[in-house]
Amino acid sequence: MTTPVEAARRAERARRWRRPTLWLRLGLLAALVLVPVVPSFQLLDLALKIAVFAALVASYDILIGYTGIVSFGHAMFFGFGAYGVALAVTRGGGPTWSDLGLGLAAAVGASALVSVTIGAFSLRVKAIFFAMITLAFAEFALILAVQLGPLTGGEDGLSPRFPGLLADRRGAYYVILAVVVILFGAMSRFVGSPLGRVLQAIRDNELRAEALGYRTFVYQSVASCFASVVATVLGACYAVWVGYVNPESTLGIHIMLDILLMVIIGGIGTLWGGIIGAAFLLTAQAFLPNLRGLGAALLPGSALALRLTERWPLYFGILFILVVFFFPKGVVGSVRETLSRRR
Amino acid sequence: MRRAAPGALVVGLALLPLAAIEPRVYLTLTIAGLAMGMLIFLVAAGLTLIFGLMDVLNFAHGALFSWGAYAGFTVLVLLNQELGWAEAPSVGLNALLLLAAVAAAAAVGLVLGVVVERVIVRPVYGRHMFQILITLGATIVLEELIRIGWGPNDQVMPVPFTFQGSWDLADVIVLRFPVVAIVLGLAVYAAIALVLRRTRVGLIVRAGVENGEMIQVLGHDIHRYFTGVFAAGSALAGVGGLMWAMFSQSVRPGMGGEQLIFAFIVVIIGGLGSVSGSLLGSLIVGLSYNYVAFLLPKAAIGVTMALMVVILLLRPAGLFGSGK
Repeated sequence: MTTPVEAARRAERARRWRRPTLWLRLGLLAALVLVPVVPSFQLLDLALKIAVFAALVASYDILIGYTGIVSFGHAMFFGFGAYGVALAVTRGGGPTWSDLGLGLAAAVGASALVSVTIGAFSLRVKAIFFAMITLAFAEFALILAVQLGPLTGGEDGLSPRFPGLLADRRGAYYVILAVVVILFGAMSRFVGSPLGRVLQAIRDNELRAEALGYRTFVYQSVASCFASVVATVLGACYAVWVGYVNPESTLGIHIMLDILLMVIIGGIGTLWGGIIGAAFLLTAQAFLPNLRGLGAALLPGSALALRLTERWPLYFGILFILVVFFFPKGVVGSVRETLSRRR
Repeated sequence: MRRAAPGALVVGLALLPLAAIEPRVYLTLTIAGLAMGMLIFLVAAGLTLIFGLMDVLNFAHGALFSWGAYAGFTVLVLLNQELGWAEAPSVGLNALLLLAAVAAAAAVGLVLGVVVERVIVRPVYGRHMFQILITLGATIVLEELIRIGWGPNDQVMPVPFTFQGSWDLADVIVLRFPVVAIVLGLAVYAAIALVLRRTRVGLIVRAGVENGEMIQVLGHDIHRYFTGVFAAGSALAGVGGLMWAMFSQSVRPGMGGEQLIFAFIVVIIGGLGSVSGSLLGSLIVGLSYNYVAFLLPKAAIGVTMALMVVILLLRPAGLFGSGK
């Protein structure tokens, strides 16, 4: 006797190897593995940042797209991870693996604790509180990182050195890529699990999920905790890669806005859309500074024209609004919709 | 009794630091705290009404705050350059200048509020997530426009001569501008309370907070009230921005974002949709922030957060929240 759910699962599993997206993903992974062959550090840097941010956006998507809660504290957890490992290897004597592991473990623990605490007193009341309270906490964390100067290096931040394999660029690249792939696998499992389905049910109709007997706020808290822990690990990876941690680049609201823009462009509730969002935004950010020189060359002497080309966040903001209005499903969501309509 | 409890809480909190601070400093801090509270209230009042009536969490409120500050800044600088009103030691001219700046800030807030409501918020009514995202996008655009128009750096805010400095009353130093801010805040609160309690529009707005659909059923075009409340709230945010800029004597494009966080905390403490709750929350936050900033400078924002957490744990819907 098979239940309809089991039947659907089985059909899904049988189809697994025939799905084009699987090959797309494997191809992408192969491309990322082969990137270090090209002797260009800029490309290597871009590829790894895309990988890390794609996973970060995916973890944010678990919240916004699969659970339906908006958090502004995701960058904070990212920063926890970055600061966790950076503090452990700089303040713990020499750069050793045990210090690194300890720092990561401490950061993960702190993230889990903070996210559950925030969830406990905000989600219990109203999911909309979550957005406001996470924003307040993120600001608090930022101020804390700046003010605890003797420990965190204040505005200047920390420049940690990492042990063994991680000190080598290519070694670090492969280690971080492996971590990102594992995290993607874990997140994919998470949203496909029965727990993930309950989360989607809550997103679609919270009242109904509650009426079916699910304690919605517990599920939301679990999702928030999981996403935060993933973000923490990614923050640690980011710190290992750039070898530099400061409040602005890891904790700040700018990172949060980037994540939001990436998730919107890629597509909310798609998990893999983050790859497209991250690739688009990071590539654009890598090349936009060149554009500024172009603007200055075209219209010399005009301060307003210079500022108009300099302030490219403006165009991202406009893009953000337009995407929310006209493509609320993002690139991946829209493509999926078109494909399923054609079928 | 229940209604008196939150008020008693504020008074209790306000008297507590007397144990650790000497009375003269305490009075100075209290005035600064009340002023800060009143300025936060200007921002929070609009936020809470917009949320209560339209169920919209307006992240663009902070950007409107900054726009108000820059509008007032421009008026102050221009009038001072042309006519020298800010430096003139004349109470009348200084007050006129302040009024002109407030009017400019309010007007800019009003116009931008209507634009944001009509263009940005209206298409996404009823969808919380998209509201948050879209108003956030509006924030980015509005802030960047400030950076383009006025430049990305801090600028010094001129303060009219009369409102600079302090009065020295029996060894207690009373800064002048905070007193102006307190008076303005009280006037705004009184005006909001009067409009909400004594006029027909206020009646409909209050009813709309309770049950918006019922208002529509009774034949009122609720969208007009939405626009009106949104515009009024934005105007208040603009005035709040101007006053805050004069209070801190500087303008920055990102100033609104930081104040928005205080306003959120206040709205949560007071209860979403409650103007009185916002006033109370603002005073609690303003006072506690100033006392703690004096005693333990680094813990100030932490105490604000801790207060919010404690109040949410005790009363999940905030002090005056309906729990809707």
